[in-house]
Amino acid sequence: MPFEQRLHPVSLLFALARSLRAFALPGLIVVATRGCSGRSSGPFSAPGGWEFWLMILLIPSIIAALARYLSFRLCYEETELIVRSGIIFRNERHIPYARVQNIEAVQNVAHRALGVTDVRIETGSGSEPEATISVLPFGAFEDMRRRVFAGRTAASAAADVEAIDASAPATRTLLRLSTRELLLCGFLENRGVVVVGAAYGVLWELGLVGWFWNLVGGNNLFDEGPIEQFLKSVAAGRRPAASQILSIIAGIGVLMVLIRLVSMVWALLRLYDFHLTRTGEDLRTRFGLITRIAVTIPQRRIQTVTIRQTPLYKWLGRASVRVETAGGRKGPETSPANERAVIAPVIRTEDVPALMTDLLPGFELANLPWEPIDQRAFRRAIKPRLFVAATITIGLGVPLGWWTLYLLPFTLAWATVAARIFVTHVRWTLTDDVVGIRTGWLWQRLTVARRSRIQAVTKHESPFDRRTGMARVRVDTAGATDFSHRVDVPYLARDTAMQLYARLLRA
Amino acid sequence: VSEPDRIPDRVNDGVERRLDPRVIPLQQLTGQIASAVIAFGSIAGTLILWVEGAPLWLLLPLWLFLNGLLTWHSQRWPAIAYRHSSYRVDDAGIEISEGVYWRTVTNVPFIRVQHTDVSQGPLERRFGLGTLVIYTAGTDHAKVTLAGLEHGTALRIREHLLPRETSDAV
Repeated sequence: MPFEQRLHPVSLLFALARSLRAFALPGLIVVATRGCSGRSSGPFSAPGGWEFWLMILLIPSIIAALARYLSFRLCYEETELIVRSGIIFRNERHIPYARVQNIEAVQNVAHRALGVTDVRIETGSGSEPEATISVLPFGAFEDMRRRVFAGRTAASAAADVEAIDASAPATRTLLRLSTRELLLCGFLENRGVVVVGAAYGVLWELGLVGWFWNLVGGNNLFDEGPIEQFLKSVAAGRRPAASQILSIIAGIGVLMVLIRLVSMVWALLRLYDFHLTRTGEDLRTRFGLITRIAVTIPQRRIQTVTIRQTPLYKWLGRASVRVETAGGRKGPETSPANERAVIAPVIRTEDVPALMTDLLPGFELANLPWEPIDQRAFRRAIKPRLFVAATITIGLGVPLGWWTLYLLPFTLAWATVAARIFVTHVRWTLTDDVVGIRTGWLWQRLTVARRSRIQAVTKHESPFDRRTGMARVRVDTAGATDFSHRVDVPYLARDTAMQLYARLLRA
Repeated sequence: VSEPDRIPDRVNDGVERRLDPRVIPLQQLTGQIASAVIAFGSIAGTLILWVEGAPLWLLLPLWLFLNGLLTWHSQRWPAIAYRHSSYRVDDAGIEISEGVYWRTVTNVPFIRVQHTDVSQGPLERRFGLGTLVIYTAGTDHAKVTLAGLEHGTALRIREHLLPRETSDAV
């Protein structure tokens, strides 16, 4: 039963706004720098009319938007979604329902006012979404979600028809974050530095940094302010006054509190009204105050689940949980795309096991058989750490003077403690369904990968491994980023490693 | 480890196999070309150092020693690496062992293979060899390369690795 879906007419408006924005930002910077640097006679101060040239530049993008709007068709076939676009250069993309990893809806304020949404369809290929559709009526997104995932169940499991009734699956709320929890989440995540850094970058671009410091420090923060005086007296070998030290400590303290506050506000804006629900076998999150994001992750698409706790999280009895799917996520951890992998930004520790069972069917967090690594691991782990600590400490002596050698005992002791903590807290586990690793003592992370989702298994033996009869086993899954906590078990006795490797392949 | 000249039509028999021995002269040739390029390139660098005042009695032996070492290494290493490389194909997947000092065994299950390439460069064509490249949805092993197979063998393994349509391979 083919059914066609077109773009919403306002998609023309959004396309226009996008190209305007692309031109407006450089234009704004030009205006701002001209305003700051006075009447210069540079190339940018050419007589007015650049608005006119801007309009000419817009014409191709208007034509492109019009062509896209007129030609775009979404077609729901039995087993696949067909995306057609283009008038002259026609493009037809077939996306089998069975390959869809997740569907995302992103709505900013304008989208919501008009009742439309951007939709991204992700499959396992590469780091880009398979299809980005701007914009569809919101109802059409709901419709797509229903059709794609209903089609998927029909295509993948025609046998057990009674399993999921696609027309009316029951929806269950797994997690809902109140304003209080969101503020707590911002406090714990402490992403304020990122926001402050970004804001500073914008000020720098606009040439307003000097103005900003004038506003904050009354023009003398650096010229003859406390920091300058402090540095001067230290450089001159004088002992700085107690009041100076106190004011600097107070300044740093205020800054840290400020950053936490910014982080809390940021979390509130970003994750406002956070919902995690489960409909049939799909997990859905919805969040955001200004930009509203809806993500659908089919449960069986989940590759790995990571639970993270820092000392502050532990003290407040919280944890954060994120999942990885094969829908490519190659950016840094703080990129907006990665936010969407967070399935529970903050959750009470006692609620984690129940959530895990919803993420991985039949999974019981409490009953995992955790295994330690080899007993001789400490003797292995300490050597590279001692080496690095000694090299850095002695290396610092070259520019700073040989007094740094007095620090050597402390850095070596620190390396020893770090090695001890590392090896005593690494645990790995293997059950019929999952393979997992747990690392860290105070900063603890636990990752489990579904065995049915393992992409490749590797056994590594370095020369040091071979001398001590050890090996390392790594499990490769899809969708991990450079910052991901990976299932990578070091310092295993060779026999144990061989067994683990062989058992992983028998999945 | 069985020798590669006795490969039957069925490659998925779970027997561990060496690469094609012609990979040794191929890599030696590649190494010779690379060391010749480096030798000529470093002549320029040595001349600059000489003009800058570095003593010739130091520069010349150093140049000879480093380039000699490189050439010697490029001639000896392929045979050593060959002894430590093997592969095994069975019904479940393909296993590739490599590395002389840092040894790695990588196993990719068939059902996880997204697509495969068999490529053949100009030098490889002269030696009748090919390179099998396996793509998965994984992160570290998104691309698994097995170089130094007889071209026909690479094609036969590829036949076995073709993705099955029943799943999405991730």
